Amino acid sequence: MHAAVTELYAASPIDPRHALTQALVVRAQNGDVEAFGELIGDHYDMIHRTAWKWCGNRADAEDIAQDVCVKLGSAISSFDGRSAFSSWVYRITLNAVRDLQRAGKRRGRHSDAYAEVTPDEHPADQEEAATSRQLWAAVRQLPEKQRDAVLLVYAEELSHAAAAEIMGIREATVSWHVHEARKTLRGLL
Amino acid sequence: MSDDNNMHDDPLNGLKNANTPDPRADAKQRSLAAGMAAFEAAQKKTQTTPQGNPWGRRLTSIIASLKGIKIMDLRLPIGTAVIALIALPLGYQLYSSTSMTPAEVAVQRPAIVTPVKEQAKTEQRVEAPTVTAEPVAPATEPQLMQDETASSTLTRQAPPDVGSPPTVSGKMAAPAQSMAASADAMFESEMAMPAPMPSMVALPTEPSGDTFTSFDEQRLKAVADEPVSTFSIDVDTASYAYTRRMLEDGFVPEPDAVRIEELINYFPYDYPAADSAAVPFKPTMAVYPTPWNPKTQLLQIGIKGYVPTVAEDKASNLVFLIDTSGSMDEPDKLPLLKRAFSLLVDQLSANDTVAIVVYAGSAGVVLEPTVATDKAKILGALDNLAAGGSTAGAEGIALAYRLAEQGKIEGGTNRVILATDGDFNVGIDDPEALEDFIKAKRDSGTTLSVLGFGQGNLDDATMQALAQNGNGNASYISSFREAQKVLVEEMGGTLDMIAKDVKIQVEFNPAVVSEYRLIGYETRALNREDFNNDKVDAGDIGAGHTVTAIYEITPAGSGAELIDPLRYGQTNETPTAGDEIAFLRMRYKLPDSDVSQLIEVPVTPDVVYGDIADVSADMRYAAAVAAFGQKLKGSDYGGEMSWDEIEALARSGRGADDSGYRVEFINLIKTASLLKPDTDRNPCDTPASGEVCQ
Repeated sequence: MHAAVTELYAASPIDPRHALTQALVVRAQNGDVEAFGELIGDHYDMIHRTAWKWCGNRADAEDIAQDVCVKLGSAISSFDGRSAFSSWVYRITLNAVRDLQRAGKRRGRHSDAYAEVTPDEHPADQEEAATSRQLWAAVRQLPEKQRDAVLLVYAEELSHAAAAEIMGIREATVSWHVHEARKTLRGLL
Repeated sequence: MSDDNNMHDDPLNGLKNANTPDPRADAKQRSLAAGMAAFEAAQKKTQTTPQGNPWGRRLTSIIASLKGIKIMDLRLPIGTAVIALIALPLGYQLYSSTSMTPAEVAVQRPAIVTPVKEQAKTEQRVEAPTVTAEPVAPATEPQLMQDETASSTLTRQAPPDVGSPPTVSGKMAAPAQSMAASADAMFESEMAMPAPMPSMVALPTEPSGDTFTSFDEQRLKAVADEPVSTFSIDVDTASYAYTRRMLEDGFVPEPDAVRIEELINYFPYDYPAADSAAVPFKPTMAVYPTPWNPKTQLLQIGIKGYVPTVAEDKASNLVFLIDTSGSMDEPDKLPLLKRAFSLLVDQLSANDTVAIVVYAGSAGVVLEPTVATDKAKILGALDNLAAGGSTAGAEGIALAYRLAEQGKIEGGTNRVILATDGDFNVGIDDPEALEDFIKAKRDSGTTLSVLGFGQGNLDDATMQALAQNGNGNASYISSFREAQKVLVEEMGGTLDMIAKDVKIQVEFNPAVVSEYRLIGYETRALNREDFNNDKVDAGDIGAGHTVTAIYEITPAGSGAELIDPLRYGQTNETPTAGDEIAFLRMRYKLPDSDVSQLIEVPVTPDVVYGDIADVSADMRYAAAVAAFGQKLKGSDYGGEMSWDEIEALARSGRGADDSGYRVEFINLIKTASLLKPDTDRNPCDTPASGEVCQ
């Protein structure tokens, strides 16, 4: 555990943006509303982008982004700084995605409807875009953990270690999920 | 080579160029406003909390599991008022998670903070199988809550009014007032969800599916450094049943779900049984060439528990503790459970009693202790069980133990049998407190077995922990056939413990063996000094159970050593006991004794076979299962054995196979070979799949 924590610190270089985020987090934790506002303002685009990648449509992405903002508001005080703030935000966002999709399933909508009905997807102007859309649809249909692992590693371009941190599993297990995802996708791509 | 290797053609690289549109400004504004409102709400709450430093709060991980049914970890404060306040949202959760929920009511959440009180007491735990979530109390009784909160360990508390709820989207159905309030409360609890990342890592429970304890494979050890290997026996079989189910459904199970010793011990082996209950088992040993490595040998140790004669029919006092939460409402859960238990009831006789307690969906005693011959009454009660319902039963486990103690049979089997798909909200919320409770009850003579059902929610780690603390078994019931195996064919083993705290210690002779590796038993390893310490708990063995342990050993001087000898040698040239290979010690306690007995047997060259064809079919079969498990897990030591070779070995060891389990296993090898072809390699070997991979 200690090793993992140390590694985390080692992995996140101290750049100015990082330092700024940290300062904002501390201020927000001390009750500074403006700092909190700035913090989520800074992160909103990333949250929205992530939610969009995971869901593929605007309505869900906006719902999720709002959920995440609210969750951040109530939980920022419990963030303990032992991981990067952005990892923490990812984790919350992924949970929100899962919530929304499960709720959707429980309401009787089929999960694949998410992948197929993507009204806001940018129009495909050429074949390449069509292939890409097919790829995204296939990835979004993967089992949750495989999808999370693949998107974190390939769409978000994170290391396996960072993805493991976000998903709360071991690094080797991330590799395994990616591996399984490839096998699942083999026939589709 | 597979496409995995080629970075340039990797289709997944296409994911980098995501075309995500920019967020709309108005949506962003709405979200930010909602976030700020939540923030201010949380702040006000903090300010009203009179004392405690803010850092104290940081240790609180408030991870609510989002699956509506996972409420096991609610940390209820002692006050009954709070319990009452929790009942409503809980009901809502259960309600919203059953298939009967009207679609519109189900899960839309208002995206706002409304007058809600919430408390979150949390804690981090490293090994605990579950998540701590808490909270939720609707705003129905603000004053009462106020009082309650002032004196308790609340960390957070929403102010009574935070403006009018802006909704997330227009889709929200307008539920009744009370429902809305509880929905808010639920939402609050979900907001509480994020937790510090490191604690995330430590928490094995993932709301998204089945959970398993992570473990690393047993390492190769040099006899010169560590001549003694100690472990506890494990008679559980849940891992095999789960693995089989995953393969049959067309998935390769997670490596952590495959526990090789449980795969091996799933099958009955025909070892000679012991002669009397006083010395309840004797070891059968063999040393033969390793099928996957020509230079090493396998040392196999098999024991079979004594089988009492029919005249010794022990009285049993059984209490079924059954999960009736909404998630049990699937064909492979409650309905299968009912049929499984009716099988078990058929096996019981006039000196046995059965009682049924339910929890989660509905709560309470469904059947008072009843003589097992009154089958109509028992089966009637079983039939009437239904999943779903609106009230949470919090008293499940205490009630079950109370019934078991009421009907306690001295000298008989007193056992609670917990059947669940993964919800352990049995009434004691702190997993550690639950384990302690079970331990205490075990010491007073009531044991616990756990039967797991279904998938998607299965909490294997908790199942194992509870059953081990309760001196019972954990089994996974995937099908009616499996129910038949566990509850009929092995009922004696399941119900009639003949020895407890069985530990095995093997000391290798450095003159004969240079390296060794225990296959499996990673989760059962003990320290060397634990062997003679009777306080250290270990596995139990039931009537007729067989347990097999396999070591891969490297003979001294064979040249197959993977560990280089020490340059400066060993100082002590120990006088070796001739040509003995190893020395086996086993400790066990008789069921009603607290003092362990010792069995000691040397492993002599008499049991060495030069050709694997000469050993008994059982031995070959066990070796095949071990090879299968290693290959499925992607073991570092599995060697290059192909699926075909494993299948051939399993076939050669099939024997009579009256029950058909071995044939089934052989078919499973075929399935596995399709899902994970021989060429399929460990992701860590594949450059494309990751830059770092230790």
